[in-house]
Amino acid sequence: MSYTITEKCNGCGACARNCPAVAISGEKKKPHTIDASLCIECGACGRICPHAAVLDAEGASCMMIKRSGWLKPDIMLESCVACGICIDACPVGCLVLSELPRKKGVDAFPYLKDTKACIGCGFCSRECPVEAVVMQVPVKIEKVAASGESA
Amino acid sequence: MNKPYMGKILMVDLSNQTMTEEAIPDHVYEQYLSGMGLGAYILYNRMPAGADPLGPENILGFCSGFLTGTGSLFSGRWTLVGKSPLTGCWGDANCGGTFSPAIKHCGFDAIFFKGISPKPVYLYIKNSKATLKDAADIWGHDAVETEEILKQQYGQKAAVAVIGPAGEKCSLISGVCSDKGRIAARSGLGAVMGIKRLKALVLDGVQQIGAHDPAAMKRLSRHCAKWVRMPLPLTSGSVFARVGSFLRVTPVVFPQDGLLYANILKKWGTGGMNQASIEMGDSPLKNWSGSNRDFPLAKSKKINPDLIKNTEIVKYHCYSCPLGCGGICATKGQHAHTHKPEYESILALGGLCMNEDLDSIFYLNELLNRAGMDTISAGATAAFAIECYEKGILTKEDTGGLELKWGNTESLVALIKKMINREGIGDLLADGTKIAAAKIGKGAIEFAIHAGGQEPAMHDGRNDPGFNVHYSLEPSPGRHTLGAHLYYEMFQLWKCVKGLPRPSLLYTKASKYKINPEKAQTAAACSKFMSLANGAGMCLFGLFIGVKRVPTFDWLNAATGWQLTPEEYMAIGERIQTLKQAFNIKHGVEPRDNFISSRALGKVPQTEGANKGRFVDVEKLAPGYWDQFGWDTTTGKPKEETLRKLKIK
Repeated sequence: MSYTITEKCNGCGACARNCPAVAISGEKKKPHTIDASLCIECGACGRICPHAAVLDAEGASCMMIKRSGWLKPDIMLESCVACGICIDACPVGCLVLSELPRKKGVDAFPYLKDTKACIGCGFCSRECPVEAVVMQVPVKIEKVAASGESA
Repeated sequence: MNKPYMGKILMVDLSNQTMTEEAIPDHVYEQYLSGMGLGAYILYNRMPAGADPLGPENILGFCSGFLTGTGSLFSGRWTLVGKSPLTGCWGDANCGGTFSPAIKHCGFDAIFFKGISPKPVYLYIKNSKATLKDAADIWGHDAVETEEILKQQYGQKAAVAVIGPAGEKCSLISGVCSDKGRIAARSGLGAVMGIKRLKALVLDGVQQIGAHDPAAMKRLSRHCAKWVRMPLPLTSGSVFARVGSFLRVTPVVFPQDGLLYANILKKWGTGGMNQASIEMGDSPLKNWSGSNRDFPLAKSKKINPDLIKNTEIVKYHCYSCPLGCGGICATKGQHAHTHKPEYESILALGGLCMNEDLDSIFYLNELLNRAGMDTISAGATAAFAIECYEKGILTKEDTGGLELKWGNTESLVALIKKMINREGIGDLLADGTKIAAAKIGKGAIEFAIHAGGQEPAMHDGRNDPGFNVHYSLEPSPGRHTLGAHLYYEMFQLWKCVKGLPRPSLLYTKASKYKINPEKAQTAAACSKFMSLANGAGMCLFGLFIGVKRVPTFDWLNAATGWQLTPEEYMAIGERIQTLKQAFNIKHGVEPRDNFISSRALGKVPQTEGANKGRFVDVEKLAPGYWDQFGWDTTTGKPKEETLRKLKIK
């Protein structure tokens, strides 16, 4: 199954730019299409489409979510086994192993390095065999941004 | 999406630069899984009999593991397959890193290459779209440099497999590298890639890998992780040397539990057992002629596990590995960062050449990784050359002025550099011991320790007779990762598979050398299980923890929904093993020719040390092993009825 784009699409191209699988094509200002053989059902197109023109694999309409509201992975180091499955599962490559740890000869753990690139697909969490990756809205960053605005 | 395999392979014909995607029917996966099984299926059916390993008809395959990416642990191994130019037999090499899932993310279970490219090329796959690109700019660079160049161009997320200069120069002991120092080294398949003028594969895909029951996969993985992370109080690496000495002198031993090994691997890596191994007689020394007396504790303490661990900055895990036996080290030498040398490398470049200089081992390990040359075969060939020099078969003139003496570190480094560059004597030695001995003549073959042309690993079959069985009788001779007496104890297969014997709680060492039907049964069980595991992409070190704790059979059921019994999965392993043997027979291999050199069998038994008086009679062991698979007990050829029963024919 694959995500699909309805005739509501006005061809803004936001979904195509956001698609990590390069599965979306179409001319500017013309309705876009999703190549079902390439679609990985990450939902990035649905979250970004301002016209609710994307249907998910079950045919339900996707709602646009503000970028700041996208879920981001949080890694629970106490249960992480450093197997690297989450890093491999990430379709945009925003998770990486920590830089050289301060203590010698210990495991390096994954962390979200490129927050902006994260599309909130949750594949890292879905694939983690020990449930060490939790998807949540990054609260702290939101607070900082909010206080920054009010000031 | 809910199948663990992608159902497709990519066949690249380098001669006319064409690429074909092929759908593989489900029944192939049901019979052979993917990984090595799928590789054997394609090679057996597509390669014409008698194909020249270095000719256009040889097929080189990069096969991802069946369980890779399904939520299982220890399942990130990929298998490189092809007809080995080193042995002329079935050839495979196994490697970890991150390359196995990358093949599946591109939408394929395996990528095969045939033909010979008119000019150097590399394969680039982005989102299931494959292109062959000109490799003129990267040809000649070493494996690490090439990977850095390609990753700079295509992004850090791309997975890269490359050959180094050794593969380009068609050294028959070269392999294929990935992750800057993980190497699919055995069977000389780097030379096949080199002769095909294929420099690298760059894979960058995002296709998702499914499983029939993801929740069950996770449940099993959590069960497995619990065992792997169970800490045992292990303090100092030098303790193992004492344990090794004890194991040498005690006449009675007990079955080993792999949980201990897992903890050693986690803390020190594979090198954790090097000193113990020398002490107990597991590691061959002085080109298989020496014993622990030639390399006593005073010497081996210079390469002890703690010294290696001290250089480690951070642990290295292959994909889906909770153990992390690898490491990245910082050393004083020319290369600031290097992969921690593995047990095999340390002893092949150390004890086997009587070299006790740890810095040189680090340096040579990195040098060989960059060149894409097998450390086991390179060390063994150097040891062979040293013995030839000591015995007067090679002269100073032959070696280009090198003083090839036991323990002469400087000349060892110079010799290996020559082998990598194929200069002078190095050109002669770059194809392994058997070919070098044939070229030298003068009785040098006596000192070439090989099985079917391949140098055996640093586990002495005189100490664990199981190793000699597998070195000699496997379709890919000289390999140490397929079975041994010790492996059988640690796999604990009898806990799952009906009819397999449980080892007794205490037994005498001498009983290991008695030839009886039980030995044949356990050796065959190891071969079947490892063939299955190589199809599944499982790591040997994970399997050491025990089949109940690292639940391979249950993962396979949860990933596929097949609900087969362990016995039925073992039958899949048996089928893969027989197919590999049938491949050899098709290509005119006589299984008897692959028996390991007589020195390694102890035909003239050692007079001192741990393996004093030990002789392993492979001639007598072979019929029993072959019979377990339904192969002819005198020739080792699979019987017609066996091939029909297994649906190979």
